[in-house]
Formats: sequence, C-alpha cells, structure tokens
Amino acid sequence: MNNIFRRSKDPQAKAHPNAGLRREEGLIGLMFLSPWILGFILLKLVPILAALVFSLTDFHMLTPEKTQFIGLKNYLTFLGDLGAWSSLVGSLGYFLTTVPVELVVALLLAAVMSSNRLPARGFLRALIFMPSIIPSMAILFIWLGLLDPYSGWLNQLIMIPLGLPPVSANSYETLILMMALWSIGPGFLIMYGAIQGIPKEIHEAARVDGAGPVLSFISITMPMISPAIFFSLVIDLTSAFGGSLLLDRGYLSSQSLSPMEGYINFVMFTHQDLGYAAALAWVMFAATMTITILLFRSARRWVYFPEESGHESI
Amino acid sequence: MNPFKRAKRKGASTLTVRLWEFTGSALLSLLVFVILGVYLSPLAYMLVTSVKTPTQLSDSKAPIYPAINPQFNYQGTDYPVMSVPTADGAKEWAMVTRRRTYAEFIDPQNPEKGLIHWDGNWRALQKAYKFSVSVDAFPAIWKSAKVLQTMGYTFYIAFVSEIGVLLSSIAVAYGFSRFRIPGGKWLFLLLIGTILIPDSITSLPTYFIFTRILGWNGTWNPLIVPHFFSSAIFVFLLRQNFKSIPRDLDEAAMLDGAGPLRILTSIIIPQSIPTITTVALLHFFYIWNELRVASLYLGIAPNYRTISLSTSIANLAIGFTPEVLEASAMIAMIVPIIVLFVCQRFFMRDMVVTGSEK
Repeated sequence: MNNIFRRSKDPQAKAHPNAGLRREEGLIGLMFLSPWILGFILLKLVPILAALVFSLTDFHMLTPEKTQFIGLKNYLTFLGDLGAWSSLVGSLGYFLTTVPVELVVALLLAAVMSSNRLPARGFLRALIFMPSIIPSMAILFIWLGLLDPYSGWLNQLIMIPLGLPPVSANSYETLILMMALWSIGPGFLIMYGAIQGIPKEIHEAARVDGAGPVLSFISITMPMISPAIFFSLVIDLTSAFGGSLLLDRGYLSSQSLSPMEGYINFVMFTHQDLGYAAALAWVMFAATMTITILLFRSARRWVYFPEESGHESI
Repeated sequence: MNPFKRAKRKGASTLTVRLWEFTGSALLSLLVFVILGVYLSPLAYMLVTSVKTPTQLSDSKAPIYPAINPQFNYQGTDYPVMSVPTADGAKEWAMVTRRRTYAEFIDPQNPEKGLIHWDGNWRALQKAYKFSVSVDAFPAIWKSAKVLQTMGYTFYIAFVSEIGVLLSSIAVAYGFSRFRIPGGKWLFLLLIGTILIPDSITSLPTYFIFTRILGWNGTWNPLIVPHFFSSAIFVFLLRQNFKSIPRDLDEAAMLDGAGPLRILTSIIIPQSIPTITTVALLHFFYIWNELRVASLYLGIAPNYRTISLSTSIANLAIGFTPEVLEASAMIAMIVPIIVLFVCQRFFMRDMVVTGSEK
C-alpha cells in the first residue's frame, strides 16, 4: 500500500530498505501532523458525531437533564416543516445564482487584467481584490445606504433616471448580488495567476493558425486554467454553503446570508431546540456533501490535469 | 496584437503601428477603468455619504456631493439662501419674506442695499447649495463603538491566533510534504474533505462544548484556540509550495547532520516566505472581518468585543442613519485596506494552483 503510493513519486524510496528507519520517518511525520489530527478529531469529527447524536434526541438547551432518545422524529418533523424546506430551497437557489456570477465575473476580469498593455497592473489588481477584504457588516452598511429612499445612489442615479421602478429598501437580492460580486477576490487572483502561467508559445501558435482572441481564450486559456477555475468553484461553493474559507462572508448581524443557516440559527437560539437544529444541520450537511461530491465527480470530465497523476490531484 | 501584426505585415510606417498600439492600450485602459469605476462605486458612495449632514440626507433635492444649504443672518434671524432667476442670471439671495405671489430677498454680498422685491412663487425656487464636509458622524461611532479599544483587542486576537495558525499549519504542511506516513494519502484526502464541511454542522455542538463544558462564553478563547490546530486550506496552500522546493536541498542538509526541525527552519521556511506571507495576510483579514464566532461568544461580553462586532452593535443602538453607517463602514475597513496596499507586492504572488502536484 505504502509502496504503491510512493513508487510513482520518489524512485529513491527503494533505496531505503531499512524498515526501522521508515517507521521512524513515519512517526516523525505523524508528529508534525499531530496539530491537525487533534484538531480534526476535536473540532470536526466529535462535533459532527455529536450533532448526529443530538439530532436523535429532544435535547433542549435550557433543560439538558430531561433529554430523551426520540429516534428519527426530528427528521420526520423536518419533512413536514415548510419553513425548513423553503429555507433549504432558498439556500440552493442562493448557491445556484451567486456561484456562477462570481466565477464568470472573476474569470472575465482575470482575462482582461492579464493583458500586458494595461498600466499599473499590480495596483489595479489590488483594487479588484480590495472589496473582498471589506468586513461583511461594512458591506451591509454600504448596501443599506445605497438603497436609502432619499439619499441612496441606486434609486437616485440609476433606477429613477432610467424610468425604472425604485428598488425597495428590503430587496435582499441586491445585497446577495453585491456580496457575490464583492467576494470574487481570491478566485480572481487564482485564475489570474493561472493565466500568467500559460506559456506564451501556445497563444503564438494559435495566432499563427488564425485564431482570434476570443477563440484562443475559449479553446486555450479556459482549458489550461481549468484547475484554477475548479479551485475557485470549490472556494465559492464552500462559502455559499456557510463554510468560512479564506475570507469570511457568512454571517450578517442577526441573519445569515444562507437562508438555511439562518433558519438553523433561529431554531437553535430562539427556540433553544438543539435536537431539531442538529437534525436540520445534518440535512444541510448531507445536501451540501451530495453537491460537492457530484462536482468533484464532474471535475474528471472538464478539469485538465497536465500529468496523469490522478491519485494525487486535488 | 492583431492590428499590430497586420500593420506590420503590410509594411506600414512605424507611426501607424504606434498609433494602433496606442489606441488599443487606451481603449483597453478605458474599459478597465469604467469596469472598476462601476465595481467600486459603492465605496465612493460610502466616502461621500459619511461626510454629509443628516439634513442633506433627508433632502431629496440635495446634490450628490456633500453640501449644505447656506443660511444668511439678517437682523438677528437666519434665512435660507435660494437660487433666484433674475434678468441678470441666477442670483444667490437669502429669502426673508415669502408670499403667494412675491418674495423678498436680501443679497448676502451687500446686505446694506436692503430687501429686494421679486415677483413669482417662491415654491418654484431651488435652494442654493455650497460644498461642505461634515465629520460629525465619526466621533459618534468612534465613541459608541469604542473603536480604539476594540481595534486593539482585534489586533491582539489576530496576533495570537496568527502565531498559532502559522506554527501549526507550517508543521502539518511539512509533515504532508516531506514524510512517508502510513496512510498519508488518505489523511491528506481527509484534510481536503474537511475544507468542504460547512460550519453549520460543527458550530452547534462546538457552541455547546465551548459554553457549557469549557465555560468559554464571553472570552476570546473560541476565537483563538481553534487556530492552534492548523487550518486545512492553509495546509493545502503551504504543502503545494513546500513540494515545489527541491528535495536535494533537504538531502544535502541531512548529510550535514541536520534534523527534520532544522531542515524546516533553515531550508523550507526561508524558501516559502511569499506563500507564508500570503497565508498570514489571509488569516489577518479573516480575523479582522470575522463576525460569526465573535457574535456567538462575545455577544454577552460588551467589554471584549472585536471591531466588526462592536461597530455593528453600535449601529443597532444608534438606529441605522446613513452617515453613521457609512462612517462605521469606513472605520471597520480602513485597517485591512491599508494592510492590503502595503503588502500588495507580496500578496498571493505564488498562488498558482495546478491540477497536478509536483
């Protein structure tokens, strides 16, 4: 097992037939891994299993001593809970709208910014990245102001001069769009870096063959940077589902951007019903994991891996 | 590129080629500046609104730029200055009396001339506006959000957790990149898997453990301690970088008698400074902007709040007025933006993600 894994990577592995040395190496390696292994057990595995156990009980924050095992009753409650279903659908809709917008905008910006005709590219890159490090509550504040009926620019400068109906002060969609557009930073930089890494000769060759900029973008740049696109997709996906990755953008004052998460927090902190909240969290966990696994499966079809090293790719 | 080549092939003069080049660059720059202008326009809104007065913000006819309607004091009373159309063009006069068919004005430039009679309905007149910056919103939020104190706390939390996340993530990435560990491949896949676990599933039991069992409610421990167990995404980024460092260097050091720790500190870390800087910056931005954990555990501790949390709670208390909202947004974002632009050269330079691992 160990050998199969190593052989392809390090031909010198065979040069160390000494089993004792190898065991020692493994032990030192495990020592270096120990912070993560401990953290994985304490902060991921135990909580996930605890959530599973909680979800099978009627655990209430205020009366933990009265807790009883109730089997799958919480999950049955979920099946009949319209609020939970609509928040789950809302979360999926949120994912389906924001992730493609983020990806496409980041990719187009990366393509335009890669042109070496632009002046001060480093500075422009920082400007594009900048909104991604703005605290989410600052974005919420700016958004609240932009929609202000008297002084907000959205209605004053765009909607009313164009003769469009004014946007009301609680249009959640505009906030989601703004959040999505203002969190493209990491994805943009990753794709930008990947575009920089494409050898110039490939584009030269395509141009000699008569390919225009659009064609060479679609048939050369996009496949070449598909690993970066996939990595950005994973980042966007995780943050849309309420993970905190690279830059946190999940939680806004009392409401969460992801409706399902907001609903779980409501059940948890307003009703103090930890058992049901844990069951909802498990439903969401199962839904997100299904989508993630499907995406990873599909990656084999469209992500280009230069060396055929399937077992070690992301 | 294409017009350039075409011009060259036809044997056109250098001037034509230069002209093509210049037009292309200019058009592209224009496009990028327009895109950036739209993309960052909410920030312009924030800057402008934070220095407006509440009076201007509730006046729907007020201009976009920060301005006030000047008042002129005439015989002990303030009168609003209006823009009055006359035969000699528009005049800015203070309106003293207003009647249905006429109004009387005073010219602020030479008040000794006395009242000027003007025929017409004063309601049709526009107010005059003068550019004026008001910084009243800043002291309001500065005091109620205890900005200096909470910024200091946030720096402290960022600093301590930074040490934890860097030490642990570097160690774990080193372990994954340089040692033959039984089942190492599966452990790494597991690590990648943990990146994708949504917080909502772990946060409920973690909240219960932290508050009920460890008694950490109202302390900074929930914001700091988890980072000492490394961050999966940082391990991923660092490992990718460590793998690209040639093993020959390690082997040479090993022959000189260097142990694993020594190789890490004298070879791997010095070779990976750009990636480590990127990870450190990402973690700093993360801690500075973090609101989820802070609001879970510091909601009951008014004296230990982070900057994000205290500004949002202060605005709830003040009641969401545009100028205070925008002033607090500015205060909350100023530190990460300065850090980003200072470290721009080092930030995410080596972040090239490829499908295969070297």
